[in-house]
Amino acid sequence: MDLKCFKLLLLGGAVRLYFSRTSLATLIGNRVEFATPLNSYKRMQEGVFLLQQGIDPYRGDLVHETPLVLKALSSILLNYAAFLPLLYVLCDLCTAALLYSMSRSFVAQKLKQQNIESKDYDKDSVELQYSERDHYDISKMVLVAYLFNPLTIMSCIGLTSTVLSNFLLASFLCALIRRHLLICLVLLAFETVRSLYPVVLIAPLLLIFARRSAVLGTAIFLVFVSFCLAIAGANFWVMNSWNFLDGTLGFIFYFRDLQPNIGLFWYFFTEMFEHFRTMFLITFQLNATVLYLVPLSIKLRKEPMLLATVLVALMAVFRAYPSLGDVGFYLSLMPLWRRCWKFMAHGFVVFTFFLVTLSMMGSLWHLWIYAGSANANFYFGATLAFCTGQIFLITDLLFAHVKREFCLYNGQKIMIDGEEARILLE
Amino acid sequence: MGLLSDPSLSTHNKLVDNLAKHVRKLCLALYAAGVVWFLCLALPEFNHVTYLSENALSPGLVYPEIRIESNRLAMQLLEELQREREEHRDTTPHAWIAAKFHEFGLETHTHNYTLRYPFGGGKEFHGKNIYGILRAPRIGSTEGIVFSAPYRVPSSVHVDITPSVPLLLAFADFARHKNYWAKDLIFLVTEQEQLGMQAWLEAYHDGDKESDTSDAYLRAGNLPARAGSLQAALNIEVQDLEVDYIDVKIEGLNGKLPNLDMFNLVQRIMAREGVTSGYKQTPRKKRRSNLSNYEQNLRQMLAMLSSQTSGVPNGNHGLFHRYRIDALTITASKRQTNANVKSNPMSGAVPLLKAIEGIARSLNNLLERFHQSFFFYVIVNNDRYISIGDYMPALIALVACTFIKAYLTWSTLDVSVATSAQDAKGSGKPTVALDSMKLSLPYGSVLIYLTLALLIGYCGNVLPLQEYFAKLPLSAAPLTASILVGLTLIGFVLPFVVILPPGGLELLHIGLLLIYGCAMIVIGLLNFSLGFFVAVISMPLMIALNTKTVDRSMRNLTCAWTFLLNPLFVIYIIVLVMTFYQFPELTALQLLARAAAAAMDGATFALIDSVIYGNWLYFVVCTVFLPLWIISWTLALGKRRRVAISKTKLKTN
Repeated sequence: MDLKCFKLLLLGGAVRLYFSRTSLATLIGNRVEFATPLNSYKRMQEGVFLLQQGIDPYRGDLVHETPLVLKALSSILLNYAAFLPLLYVLCDLCTAALLYSMSRSFVAQKLKQQNIESKDYDKDSVELQYSERDHYDISKMVLVAYLFNPLTIMSCIGLTSTVLSNFLLASFLCALIRRHLLICLVLLAFETVRSLYPVVLIAPLLLIFARRSAVLGTAIFLVFVSFCLAIAGANFWVMNSWNFLDGTLGFIFYFRDLQPNIGLFWYFFTEMFEHFRTMFLITFQLNATVLYLVPLSIKLRKEPMLLATVLVALMAVFRAYPSLGDVGFYLSLMPLWRRCWKFMAHGFVVFTFFLVTLSMMGSLWHLWIYAGSANANFYFGATLAFCTGQIFLITDLLFAHVKREFCLYNGQKIMIDGEEARILLE
Repeated sequence: MGLLSDPSLSTHNKLVDNLAKHVRKLCLALYAAGVVWFLCLALPEFNHVTYLSENALSPGLVYPEIRIESNRLAMQLLEELQREREEHRDTTPHAWIAAKFHEFGLETHTHNYTLRYPFGGGKEFHGKNIYGILRAPRIGSTEGIVFSAPYRVPSSVHVDITPSVPLLLAFADFARHKNYWAKDLIFLVTEQEQLGMQAWLEAYHDGDKESDTSDAYLRAGNLPARAGSLQAALNIEVQDLEVDYIDVKIEGLNGKLPNLDMFNLVQRIMAREGVTSGYKQTPRKKRRSNLSNYEQNLRQMLAMLSSQTSGVPNGNHGLFHRYRIDALTITASKRQTNANVKSNPMSGAVPLLKAIEGIARSLNNLLERFHQSFFFYVIVNNDRYISIGDYMPALIALVACTFIKAYLTWSTLDVSVATSAQDAKGSGKPTVALDSMKLSLPYGSVLIYLTLALLIGYCGNVLPLQEYFAKLPLSAAPLTASILVGLTLIGFVLPFVVILPPGGLELLHIGLLLIYGCAMIVIGLLNFSLGFFVAVISMPLMIALNTKTVDRSMRNLTCAWTFLLNPLFVIYIIVLVMTFYQFPELTALQLLARAAAAAMDGATFALIDSVIYGNWLYFVVCTVFLPLWIISWTLALGKRRRVAISKTKLKTN
C-alpha cells in the first residue's frame, strides 16, 4: 500500500468523522433506507440497555443483533460511548483497506491466469485483458469506490451495523482470494449466524477450495456447518439461552418486522392475505438464497470471484432487510470487473435510475410519513424502481462477462463475408 | 431482442446514434407534448367531477339547528366588539374575548409567544392567543377540531374582518348547548396574522419544553390545555355579517392542499344552505364574463397553481397542513349595497352559521383522519378537479427531456470529446482508445466544481442570518438582497476564473442535466406548481445548451438567454410585472425602483418565512436554482482551456 492510498484512507476517514459530528448523522441513523430493524444503532442501544438491566433482549421484538456482538459493543458503549463513531469509522477504513488488498491479489491472480491462457486469446483482445497497470488502477478504483461512495459514507455515519457486516464480508473475500480456508470458514460462519444470507457464499468458497473432489467439498461443508454450530454455541454461552436464535435468524427468516425499507419484502407482506404468508415467505426466501445460486454456480464455476460478487449483489437486492450500505458495498466491487465494462451497455441508465429513485425516496417518504398526503404505494414505487435498477446492473455485468469471454477467444470484430457479423442468442 | 439480453458485442447502437443527431428536435417535441398535455387538462374530457369519497362525513344528513337567535347574538357581540376596538387601536381586546369564552362556559386559556426577529439586533415581539375548549361529552379528549378566527387590530393594513370573532363566539355558544359532540371543539382567536397561528400550532404539538432557551426565532411557549390529536380545522374570515359570497381558500404552506373531501364537504354544505361559494370566487358582477368554458377553466388552473408556487399559505389554514391537519379558510365577503337584493339585516349571517354548523357536524362524524380522497389535485372549476395521475405526465414529459438528452450526450460522448481533444492538440493523431475515454474524464474536478456551485448557493441560505452580518448598520432587506447579489456575482465570475480541464465541460453538461432532472422531479413531487412553472421556463434553455456549438452568434444568444434566466433576475421580472399591474400610474423609472424595493423586501420575507414557518421557497431558490444557474452559465460561456493553448500557439507562431 503506497502513500497515495494512505492519503485516500485518511481523507475517507476525515470525511466520515466530519459528517458523524454534524446533524446529518442522526438524520441518517433514522432513515429507513439505511437503518433497518437488523442494523439500526437505536436498536443496538436498546439491546445494550436491556442487557445492562439483566433482561433477555431477545424476548422482545426490538433487538436482532447476535449476543457476541451485542456484548462486545455494550462494553464499548457503556465505557467509551464518545469513541463509538471513531470505532465505526476505523472499521470502515479497515474494510476499505481489505478490499484494496483483496483487489491487488485478485488482479495478480488474473494476470497469472492470463499468462497461462494467453496463447489461446485472440490478437484483438488486448484491451479486454488485465494489464500490469491494472494492478494499481483497479485496486485504487476499488478503494475510491468504497471510501467515497456516499452510500457507504452515510451508512457509516449513521452507525448502522452494516459497517460490521461489510467488514466481515470484505475480510471473507480477502481471505478467499488469498486461499486461507480456515479464516474464510470462520468469517463466513460468523456472518451467516449474524445475517443468514451470506450462507450462499459457501458456493464460491467450495468452487475455489474443492473444485476437483466432491469428498473434500463435503468435508469443507461439514466443517462450515460445525463452525456455524460452534458460533451459535458461543452465542449461547454468552446469553445462556437459545432465544437469540429466534431473535436473529428467525427474525430474518420469518420477516416479522414490516417496517418499510428499500427491499421488496415489506410491501408484499403488508398487502398479503395472512394464510398465504407461509407460502410467500418460502418463495421470497428461496428467491433470496438458493434460486440463483445453482444456475449461477454452474455457469460461473470458472470465475468464483465473479460468482461471489454477483451473490453479494443479489443478496443486497433480495434480502429481507436490505440497506443502502449493502448496496454501497457491492458497488465498490464493480471495478474488479473493469475489463468487462466495455460491454456493459446500461451503466449510465443504472446510474440515472439510482440517482432519480434515491432522490425520490426522500421526498416520497416525507410526503407519506410527515405530510400525510402520499401513501405507501408512492414510496414502494420508488424502491421497486431502485431494485429494478440494481437488477439491470447485475444482469448487465453477467452479460458483459459472457461477452468478454467470447471476445477474448474470438476477437472483438467478427467478419463474415466482409461484413460485421451479428451475434444472435439462441 | 431483449433489452437486457442483447447479445451484440458493440454497445454502440445505431438507433442511439441517429437519435443523438436529432436530440434537440426530440426534446422539443417532448417539451411541446408536456405543455400541450397541461393545456388539455382544462378540457372537460381530461378532468373529473368531484365527489365525496369519505362516507363518514355524510354532509347534510341532519337538519341545521342553529337559529336566528345566534345571528342576533353575533350582531350584539359585534357591537360590543366594535366599542372595544375603539379603545384598543393597536392591541387585541384579550380580556373581552376571554370573558366571552368564559361566559359561554368554555374552558378558556391564553397562550403567550415571543418572536425573536432575526434582523435588527434581536428585537422581540410578544403576542397572545385566546382559545376555549368545548370538551366533548362523549369521548375522553382524544380528538379535536379547531375553529379559528384571526383578529385584526384596527390599525392593520389588511381588510377588516372583525365580524369573524363574534361569529365564532355565536357558534361556540350554540355548540355549547349540544350534547352530540364526539370530538373536542377548540375555538381559537389568533392575532398577528399567521404568526399567532404558527406559534399556537407549534406550542400545541412541540410545546412543553422545559424552558425556551433554544435559539429558535419563534418561541412558541406552552399551552395550558390540549384536546387530543387535531383532525381538521376551519378558519373563518368574515368581512361582514351580511354575506355576499364565500371564497374557499385551500392553498397551504409549500403548496400543500387539504384533502379534496374537505373542500367538497364545504362546497356541498354551502350549496345546501344557499350560500354562493367556490374556489377563487369573485363578486357576482365580475363572474359574468364572455370567456369560453375552456378559457375559464384554464384561468382557474393557472390561478391555483400560481398561488401555490410561492408556498406561502393564503390564510391561517395553511399552517395546519404542516402538522397533517386538513384545514381550509372560508372567507365571507361583504355585500355591496345593491337595491335589487333586499335582505333582512337580522338574519344576514344565518345561512353561513348553518353552513358552519353543518361542516362541524360532518367533521364530528369522522371516524379517522381524512384519507379517502386526493391530496394532490388541481381545481379547474368549483365542481371539477384534476388528479395527480392526470397532471403529473405533463411534468414527466418535461423532465424526460433532460434524461433523454443526458443519455444521448453520454452515449455520443466519446466522439465529441475525442474531436475536441484533437482540436486542442491540433494533430490528427488518434487519441486514446474510445473505451477508456469515459474513464479518463475529469470526474474529480467536475465534482469539485459542482460542490463549489452548491456551496455558493448554500451560503445564501446561512449568511444573512449570521451574527456579524446582523450587526452591520443595514436593514434587513438591503442586507439579504446584497448578499444574494454578491453570491450571484461570485457565480457569474466563477467560470471565468475556474476553467475545467478538457472533457470537463461535457461531463458538467451531463451532470447538470441529471441534477436538474432530479431536482425538478423532487420539487414537482413536493410542490407541483413550482416544479412545473420552473420547468416550463427553464427547460428550453436546458435543451438549447450545447457544449459543441461553434457558431458564435448562437453561443452569444445562449449566453444572453442564460443570463436572463438568473433566479434573481426572474424574481425581479415577476415582481416588476406585478408592480406594473398594481400601480399602472407610475412612470417607467419609478416602476423599476419600486419593483427593486419590492423584490428586496420579497427576498427578506421569503427568508423570514423559511426560518419561522418552514417555507422552502427561499431554500430552493438559493440551494438548488442558483447553483443550477451557475452551472448553466458556465456551460453557456463554454470557456475551454484549449482557447488559451491555441492563443499561445498563435503568438509563438
